[in-house]
Amino acid sequence: MLAFRRFERAIDSGIGRRKLGYLMIALIIAFFLWFPNDTSQSNYAKTVFISGFFYAIMSSSWALLAGIAGQFSFGHMAFMGIGAYVAGLIARDGVAFAMLGVNITPESISSLGAIIIGTVAAGAVGLVIGWLLLRLRSAYLALFTIAFSELFRIIMLTEYDYTGGSNGLSLRPLLQIADVNAARQVEYYLMFGLLIVCLLALYWVANSPIGLFLRAMREDEDAASALGVNVVRYKILVFVFTSMIVGFAGAIFYSDVGSERIIPEQLEILQMSLIIAYAVIGGMESLIGAAAGAFISRYLLEAMRQVVISLPFGLTTADGSDAFVWDTGYWRFALFGVVMVFTLRYMRNGLLYPIITWFSGRDIAMKETVSIRESDDDEGAAPTEADDE
Amino acid sequence: MKRISLFISILALLALTALLPTGAVYADGHCEFAEDSIKIGGLVPLSAPGTVAGGVAMSWAINRAADDINAACGVAIDGVNYAIEIVIGDSEGSPERGQAVVERFILEDEVDAVTGVYHSAVGLATMGMLDENRIPTVFSEPWNDNVSANGIMEYDGRPPRNADGVDHVFRVSPASSMVGSVVVDWLLDLGVGNVVIIAENTDYGQPAAADELARFEAAGATVTQINVELGTEDFVPILSRIQASAETPDVVRVIVTGETSFNLTQQMAELGIAPTEDTICVTNQVAFQSEQYWQNVPDGNYCAFNRVGIIPSLFSDTAVELNEAYFEEFEDIVPSYAMASYDAVWIIADGMARAGSMSDGAAIVAAIETTDLDLSQGRYYFEYGNHNPDLPEGTPAFMWHQWPDPVVTMMQYFEQGQSSLDAAVIFPVVYQTHGSSYIAPGTSP
Amino acid sequence: MVIEDTLFVLWLLLAGPLWATVGLFILPGVNQGRGEKEQVPATTLKIAGLVGGFALGPVGLGLFYLEPTLIRRSSLTLGVVLTVFLSSQVLARIVDPNLPAALWLLLAGPLWAALAAYFIPRHYRDLEADDQNALTAAALGGFAIGPLIFGLMWKTVPKVNRDWMISLGALGAWQIYALFAIQNPANPCVALPYAATYLTQQTANGIVIGCIYSLMAVGLTLIYSVQGVVSFAHGQLYMVGGYFSFYFLLHAGNVLSELTGTEVSVNPIWGIPVAAVIVFVMGAIFERVFLKPMHEGLIERVSEYAILITFGFGFFLEYTTLAIAGPFPQKTDRFIQIRRFTLDRFHFNDEVFFGPIHIIGDRAFAMVVGVALIFALLYFLQRSWTGRALRATSQDRQAAAVTGINPTNMNTLSFAMGSMLAAMSGAALIPIFNWVPWVGAEMVGRSYVIVVLGGLGSVPGALAGGIIVGIVEALGAGCHPDPSRGAAYKEAFALVIFALVLLLKPTGLFGREQH
Repeated sequence: MLAFRRFERAIDSGIGRRKLGYLMIALIIAFFLWFPNDTSQSNYAKTVFISGFFYAIMSSSWALLAGIAGQFSFGHMAFMGIGAYVAGLIARDGVAFAMLGVNITPESISSLGAIIIGTVAAGAVGLVIGWLLLRLRSAYLALFTIAFSELFRIIMLTEYDYTGGSNGLSLRPLLQIADVNAARQVEYYLMFGLLIVCLLALYWVANSPIGLFLRAMREDEDAASALGVNVVRYKILVFVFTSMIVGFAGAIFYSDVGSERIIPEQLEILQMSLIIAYAVIGGMESLIGAAAGAFISRYLLEAMRQVVISLPFGLTTADGSDAFVWDTGYWRFALFGVVMVFTLRYMRNGLLYPIITWFSGRDIAMKETVSIRESDDDEGAAPTEADDE
Repeated sequence: MKRISLFISILALLALTALLPTGAVYADGHCEFAEDSIKIGGLVPLSAPGTVAGGVAMSWAINRAADDINAACGVAIDGVNYAIEIVIGDSEGSPERGQAVVERFILEDEVDAVTGVYHSAVGLATMGMLDENRIPTVFSEPWNDNVSANGIMEYDGRPPRNADGVDHVFRVSPASSMVGSVVVDWLLDLGVGNVVIIAENTDYGQPAAADELARFEAAGATVTQINVELGTEDFVPILSRIQASAETPDVVRVIVTGETSFNLTQQMAELGIAPTEDTICVTNQVAFQSEQYWQNVPDGNYCAFNRVGIIPSLFSDTAVELNEAYFEEFEDIVPSYAMASYDAVWIIADGMARAGSMSDGAAIVAAIETTDLDLSQGRYYFEYGNHNPDLPEGTPAFMWHQWPDPVVTMMQYFEQGQSSLDAAVIFPVVYQTHGSSYIAPGTSP
Repeated sequence: MVIEDTLFVLWLLLAGPLWATVGLFILPGVNQGRGEKEQVPATTLKIAGLVGGFALGPVGLGLFYLEPTLIRRSSLTLGVVLTVFLSSQVLARIVDPNLPAALWLLLAGPLWAALAAYFIPRHYRDLEADDQNALTAAALGGFAIGPLIFGLMWKTVPKVNRDWMISLGALGAWQIYALFAIQNPANPCVALPYAATYLTQQTANGIVIGCIYSLMAVGLTLIYSVQGVVSFAHGQLYMVGGYFSFYFLLHAGNVLSELTGTEVSVNPIWGIPVAAVIVFVMGAIFERVFLKPMHEGLIERVSEYAILITFGFGFFLEYTTLAIAGPFPQKTDRFIQIRRFTLDRFHFNDEVFFGPIHIIGDRAFAMVVGVALIFALLYFLQRSWTGRALRATSQDRQAAAVTGINPTNMNTLSFAMGSMLAAMSGAALIPIFNWVPWVGAEMVGRSYVIVVLGGLGSVPGALAGGIIVGIVEALGAGCHPDPSRGAAYKEAFALVIFALVLLLKPTGLFGREQH
């Protein structure tokens, strides 16, 4: 402990924590950039990383929506699905709006074009849903988005003739690279680049004045509105913005970058709940925390499938093996649930929060735990008939 | 601070309990094995949204096969015995996960062959990769017709996956068209004219229902198809709809798996729709798990079901042994996919022994194509492959690298609580055990 | 061809409203030159102008103008219904003969509903009229009678009462029914003479299963009314309730069999109290450890925390059960040995005109158990001191504390009792449905629908909501024009209603107005 304090002082008087933080981020980015060039690593590790990047995007954008703007939505996966499904359907069947004179045929559209249309579609649905949700708060909002997301999944599953049902829908591949290794390399950088771009975009929103308004809205919508924050505009904006991000990420990920086809099971509430759990464990209010939480949780859940403990000193187990082997099965998810509950209760800002605050050089946690608010009855989910009631 | 340390100590405690040993599995060593071992990847669903129950049984069977082979001193290649080592991967029933796991198998675990696969979507998504990497593969449960049509037929508009004409994927489970034809032939033999098909809206249920519907309609029967979502519990509204239809259906055919099938069949029986004197009840092959079936469908007496896999009365010694071991582990009759998975490992091992190599994909494929082995499900061979590449006109593309003889039979319970080992085999006629092709409710053969 | 169709559509879209506008201005002229007693109320005339103009164009206007006695409420209603119905049909067929009429319903109905829901309440507020329920009525009306709702509500800004909403809702429902009939005349919901039997059968199905659903939803509503928390662990508590009952019955059966030396199976009714006690304790402990700090002000942003913590608890319960019980389906024995109750056929002139109606025996029993438990709960809440204290806390926490009620204990009690009710419904249903660890997911989704529909916090509302959801699901699956899709969309019907209620009337049918 003492050594740590000394180290802390040395850092403070030297390079400064913040700069050290930037240095660490640069190092981490450098590591990810270097990683695919490590020849000892297999393509499998890259695949795991690619899906890790994808879930990091999902989780960090959800953190903006729920952690910073306070819009506790379960519909995030559905928006991702809209992006992917629309992109896939348009690339396969095309679309025609006779009245507008628009006619997109499968031949005339590139895979990127389809992805962009998918993104716009996700944004458009985000707009409608955001507008519908204006009147709803907390638990009601969560329930509505559950209903929306389930409806979308059931329709995708049932309209077998169009969406392929549970066989899933193949999107048009984004990249056409014959060599598997080279393809994986490109996919890796593409997804990593996407993660960085998304994180930058999310940070830009969170740290701009909009971010302040969003935070104000999260704390108390009525008060924010009374102080002149245009709640309607920012609420809709945050929905459109995050749904476009996940729609885009989903359309790209399923265009044979991370996965070859999207299946409706991917849109189940269970999958959504995993994203929420990642964000909670990493820290809902910190975008990078949520992203890292997703990446690390996925890695740990994967690594903990089988726990092997080598016994020291030449000890052996009853049946003569030198290691305990435990197939964790569902216990690892149960443990994950325990970690989630305890994180919420005792480290509300996520397990990564102490590290992040240390680097940012200030202790926000202190400030936040001191501000104890009166627990109020209407704190839960007071729905109001009209906004101004 | 105190709180955090409490939290951490609880976590540590949990971690400790998590690390308690539960015992390890390893075969005894009366054989001399080479230092290398043959690695076989088993791709099975072990988490939701996959069919976990299926994956658990398959993974058990794959491991069991490896243990049995190793107990018989493994695979002899050039006079050296190689032990088989199984690597199980969890597909979670999702194509994306399946692909990732196969990639891990190939690149990290460096497996020499792959078996397993329950969901067709996973099979379709992983075939290409397995081919590109020249991994001999014997799928043991996906039913989609296209799974074995690899190399012959394109699907989903993707280019054929194989550049040099060798393809590595075999299948020992039936194609869904093969199963459908038996059910339909049997029902048409009984002279049904008005059919209700209840199908789950999955990659298994929909193609199977479409296939059976086409066959029924070709024979002039009228068919009503009803799709249901897996996980639905209450079927009474839709069953009332069947009950209200002007004509009483001659047969209700259930193409729904798992616990959803049990719920549906039980409610159907309770409402008195089928099995009745007028209406035949044909439920899903999961009814073969008689312990589960009677626990969950107490009123399901006289329901018929299709059964994939050798019929109990013709069980070989291998099958009897496998069944006993399975019963000990899961307290139920061994399902066909466990038998198929068990056999698949043997087929791979045999192919490697005859090819004299554990890594030369093309040689192993050539050897597997000429398989001739008696295992738990019967005699295995592959009619069409590179040794016999021309499919005659009229032979469906899925017969490529497909075991042509999965025994598909119709069985029927005729006593409450009957074990599926005693249930009557009613169709095809050659396999009939009780001399009748349908036991009307209330009678016994 | 295309041009002609387009023109016709344009006529429908424009001409109807055009004549309606003409009627709106012309028809009030009827009163001119008439005696005091012959005067027709101006509002009625305006409505008649709108309806007559829209439905029958110049012909209708002429009729009404020459013979004002024809203007009666019944004829107006009939006119509205006919207009909407016919024009919707024509529209749907004209736009594309291959398009199912349902598409009209999907597009045009909701479109008008959205427009009305957006503009009318705004208009009410601009005019400072009483806009209570205006939103609901506007949306329902837009759906049921399309643009006419603007005619009804824009000019006169009537105060909307319950009758309005019921009639508009009924009209909308009737339209859906009629669309079903046109879509597929063989649909058992409309094909005479069995339609009456069939509808009764489906309604009975809905009521039976709805009462069972209610029991679980009541627990949710109890927790919400006292704590203001929606428990996202409710489905998992329901699931573990079933498993506790299952394992208890299994072991009790084994023990008894060993003692008596014969095969004994315990009636699953005994599993209900066992599951109730265990889950009550579980719920109480969870509340004490994780929810109590929330009420003590130790937690920031309480509502978000409440969602997440209960959600995490459910996550833990589900996977722990999966790890212990495995994924294989389980079921207990049945409650009663009667397979089904049948109301036999009624004959009239040797022809069956009604019946038979079937109800599965065990379900009927579970329904009785469910309803009995709900009434027991109501009795407890109304009569016992603790129950009254619970209600008092839910109404006014501070005031309750002043009278000597300990709100902390009431919180714990409410969460434990709510969880217990979920577990009891689980234990009551495991003889009916087979049980897997993810069985709670579908059920809890339905409970949310029920409590929101009935009004979060209202126990009778949960009962009514359960029955409504049961009936909607039964009729939806039973009457959907495409039998192959009806069952697959069964869950979706309730979800649509859920979304609509959340949007239009978040307080539900019986909910307290929040201030």
